[in-house]
Amino acid sequence: MRDGSSTHSDGGGQEMAGGRTTRREIVKRAGVGTILVVYGGALPKTAASGVPKYRTRELAGTLKIIQWSHFVPAYDKWFDNVYIKRWGQANDTEVIVDHINQADIPARAAAEVAAQSGHDIFFFLTPPAAYEDQVIDHAEIVQEVTKKRGKIKPVAFKSTYNQKTKKYFAFSDNYAPDPCNYRTDLWGEVGLKPTSWDNVLKAAPKLRAMGHPIGIGMSNEIDSNVALSALMMCFGSFIQNKEQRVVLNSKATVNVLKFARELYRQGMSNEIFAWTAASNNQAMLAGRLSMAMNAISITRSAELINPDLASKIELLPIPRGPNGRLGLEHVMGAYVVWKFAKNKPMAQKFLADLEIKYIGAFENSKFYNFPSWPASVPNIARRVERDAVAKPSGKYKILAEIADKYTLNPGWPGNTNAAIDEIFQKFLIPQMFAEVAQDRRTPEEAAKIYDRSFRGIFQKWRNLGKI
Amino acid sequence: MPLRRRDNLLTWLVVGPFAIVLAFPFYWMLQTSLKSELDLYNTENNPFAFGEGSPTLDNYRFLFGETQYGHWLLNTVLVGLVVVAITLAVSLPAGYALARLSGRWGQTLGVGLFLVYLVPPTLLFLPLSRVVAEVGLQDRLAALILVYPGFTIPFATWLLMGFFKSIPRELEDAALVDGASRLRTLFWIVFPISLPGILTVVIFTFSLCMNEFIYAIAFITSSDSKVVSTGIYTELIRGDVFYWGALMAATLIPAIPLALLYNTFLDRFIAGFTGGAFR
Amino acid sequence: MPRRRRRNLLEERRFLAPALIAPAVIFVGLLVGAPLILSVYLSLTNATAGSLTGDFVGFDNYASQWSDPNFRTAFRNTIAFTLLANAIVVLGASVLAHFLVREFRGKWLMRFLVLLPWAAPVALSTIGFLWIFDSLFSVVNWTLKELSLVDQFNPPQWLGEPNKALAAITTVHAWRLLPFATVIMIAGLASIPKEVDDAAKVDGATGLKKLWYVTLPLQLPIATIAVLFGIVFTATDMAVVYILTRGGPFNSTQMLPMWAFQTGIQGGSLGEGAAVALFLLPVLAIVTVLMLLFARRVEVT
Repeated sequence: MRDGSSTHSDGGGQEMAGGRTTRREIVKRAGVGTILVVYGGALPKTAASGVPKYRTRELAGTLKIIQWSHFVPAYDKWFDNVYIKRWGQANDTEVIVDHINQADIPARAAAEVAAQSGHDIFFFLTPPAAYEDQVIDHAEIVQEVTKKRGKIKPVAFKSTYNQKTKKYFAFSDNYAPDPCNYRTDLWGEVGLKPTSWDNVLKAAPKLRAMGHPIGIGMSNEIDSNVALSALMMCFGSFIQNKEQRVVLNSKATVNVLKFARELYRQGMSNEIFAWTAASNNQAMLAGRLSMAMNAISITRSAELINPDLASKIELLPIPRGPNGRLGLEHVMGAYVVWKFAKNKPMAQKFLADLEIKYIGAFENSKFYNFPSWPASVPNIARRVERDAVAKPSGKYKILAEIADKYTLNPGWPGNTNAAIDEIFQKFLIPQMFAEVAQDRRTPEEAAKIYDRSFRGIFQKWRNLGKI
Repeated sequence: MPLRRRDNLLTWLVVGPFAIVLAFPFYWMLQTSLKSELDLYNTENNPFAFGEGSPTLDNYRFLFGETQYGHWLLNTVLVGLVVVAITLAVSLPAGYALARLSGRWGQTLGVGLFLVYLVPPTLLFLPLSRVVAEVGLQDRLAALILVYPGFTIPFATWLLMGFFKSIPRELEDAALVDGASRLRTLFWIVFPISLPGILTVVIFTFSLCMNEFIYAIAFITSSDSKVVSTGIYTELIRGDVFYWGALMAATLIPAIPLALLYNTFLDRFIAGFTGGAFR
Repeated sequence: MPRRRRRNLLEERRFLAPALIAPAVIFVGLLVGAPLILSVYLSLTNATAGSLTGDFVGFDNYASQWSDPNFRTAFRNTIAFTLLANAIVVLGASVLAHFLVREFRGKWLMRFLVLLPWAAPVALSTIGFLWIFDSLFSVVNWTLKELSLVDQFNPPQWLGEPNKALAAITTVHAWRLLPFATVIMIAGLASIPKEVDDAAKVDGATGLKKLWYVTLPLQLPIATIAVLFGIVFTATDMAVVYILTRGGPFNSTQMLPMWAFQTGIQGGSLGEGAAVALFLLPVLAIVTVLMLLFARRVEVT
């Protein structure tokens, strides 16, 4: 039956009929059978008893996982109702998964650490360098997967390995590349393509005059963080160097701040300062933006809500800057196993198994989740090219190239460490850009002041022995 | 007694704008919740009118059919009621004692209880997580039931202290003279008369519980045990996609019955105020 | 024999009072007092990432925070928001309460509408405001654009420009507290004994005179309490800022609880976060004590 098979891991795309299916219908179709399973099991429970979701036979152990509510509901449905059930049966373990909003991950993580109790496996959307002391060394899991699937991708390695303490402070199963989404029809009118930042600046005033500004956020949210950090790298501006020393105050930084200010003045609107993570999605889906840097959540949503618009949005790698084409991962799934986890062996096995056979996750996330071990999903290039829903067809082919060549870790060329983590969590990069764009500081001032502030943060973590 | 026509008009002119400003967001939530996605995310459309596919009950269907919303509502009510019960049980005696029996140091204690509110829960939740885990209540509603009285009791004690102070001593003294013990007086004479005060405490405590957010996020993650505030956050905001229609519906549903309830009790407790204790 | 003695004990004021107060004190002491002490301890350490222990660093956290401009903005904002929002609330609630105690046609409906903001959980109603102020779909902007009062292309960003964001946050705080304060004021008004009312009438004090010489003074103690709670709920609230702006744009709308959260939880510097959260405590404590003394003084028995 169609409804059942849509959550399985064969080549993607059968669940969608042609034509205008709304998101509701998709979710409904994909979920009818599974909902009955979940709710049928849920109804007799009392609120406070905490009885596990399903029990076909007595299982020997328990494993508790917490992760974000994936933007693709189908992924969660597959993970919660198909994958962990299967794995649990095969490994004689009861697997329980809880979901949390991505914004609330830090609070819950802190609470579990304070309580020294909680889930066995905890999921972060950015590498949790600050929690290094609270987690096991994930080297064993990494080695296990490396044995079977070859080398880990450098971006995942540099994001989860602490050079100083020689510890893997997280296990990265996936990352999401960050393509440039742009409107082919609008850019066609202007006669340019966003292949370089120069082009973007050239096209921006014309596009804005047409009522379709560029959309690079400068707000306290994750999309802004990623887009602006990548922009910096394209211009040769870096927060730290390979030796993990702060190098923010440079000519390149001043240049990129000037560039961003120009881009804002000529081609963006003031909404970018108020954005939430959803705002660039919504603005693009409403037909307003001509360009945005975002993972494929925009295009995937468009396919559901507005297929006509979807066919006008194409993907490209990040535009090229004076320092070349350097992009950042949009999010990186980083699982940790707490030191106080009750079922460490099973936790490690679960993570290793998840990564080794990553096809299911890759397909069910509609290519949002790219495996950190590329060999875990054979023929990625062919899979993304053959996506049945993509219009124009083959649209997602570029994703493989972006994931392969143009995705770096936060803090590149150094590793992602606790200081970088803190800078990201406090949204200091968007803050810097916004202040310059709104003429509250000159680029030179900003570069100096933030350089100093970052040094302070780095020093703090250095004192704690983490850098 | 009812006002003359002119006073009626004046009242409406003053109260009207307030009511409009206060209630407008809810009208807006209603409007948004009845719109289809196609209609909602189109900037060309008039948001006050219904466009393509609207009005629709899809958002409500989604809310009840594909999230555990009903469950969360029940959880919220359950937590509220139990916490109210605990709060009353603890605050009634405490309020009485502070109002009648304790003299000087009682006042200090009263102020001290109030100072509890000055500490933001933004960090308190960490040590409390530890407590909750040690007691084995992590991920259970009982964790909230245990922790919430911590901030509802001071407020309730305060309120009740005020009410008890306003009850004439003569009533109790009369009973005592008749030979009743203090405890008996407390139970059979004072508490029944303070029904309006108790009602107020119920309303305020319930409202404090419903509004709580940080502890609920920190302590509970399993989907069935979530309360409305946290459940909404988790399941209707997925990554960078907000399900606005469903979000608005989700807010409307508890607000309206509660407002109706509060409105009904308000009459009673005010009547009690003016009629009961003052003769 | 023992039974009688026990009952006598409970008769004693000295024993009854503590016995009745004890449960409350124990509850609050354990659930608030103990964590508070732990927070004070944390603020003097360099604890990170949720860990409840750390190395002692004295007052370093307080010092480093005080010199952080973001902290100072947060401090300033907390005071500004609180005062502004509560000023609006007090004025609004007094006026509203004055009219709502009367009987008039449609009173039930009006009261229902007024109570709505209070009945909705703050986290959810703030999301409602997030939608109302949305950068693209804001109904406010749509209306303003229709009336041609603002630029079609660059409408005001209610959450994206510092002053407007401050206004938006203050509005939401005031909106949320108004019903609460009104109810308290109504209670205060309704508790004015009829005798006083009648006496005033006999003395010929009506309308404005009555308001000034009779109603207001009698309302003062209750009004003070309402203001006090309002101040406390605003100053220690994190949900509104968290949901609307996360402290942005560029940390211009930070408030102390939000900054504490961002520093201690999101940024991982728990010790500093604790210091920030505790900064407000002495200020609020002094304000509280002063207002309570004031309330007691103006109490008319």
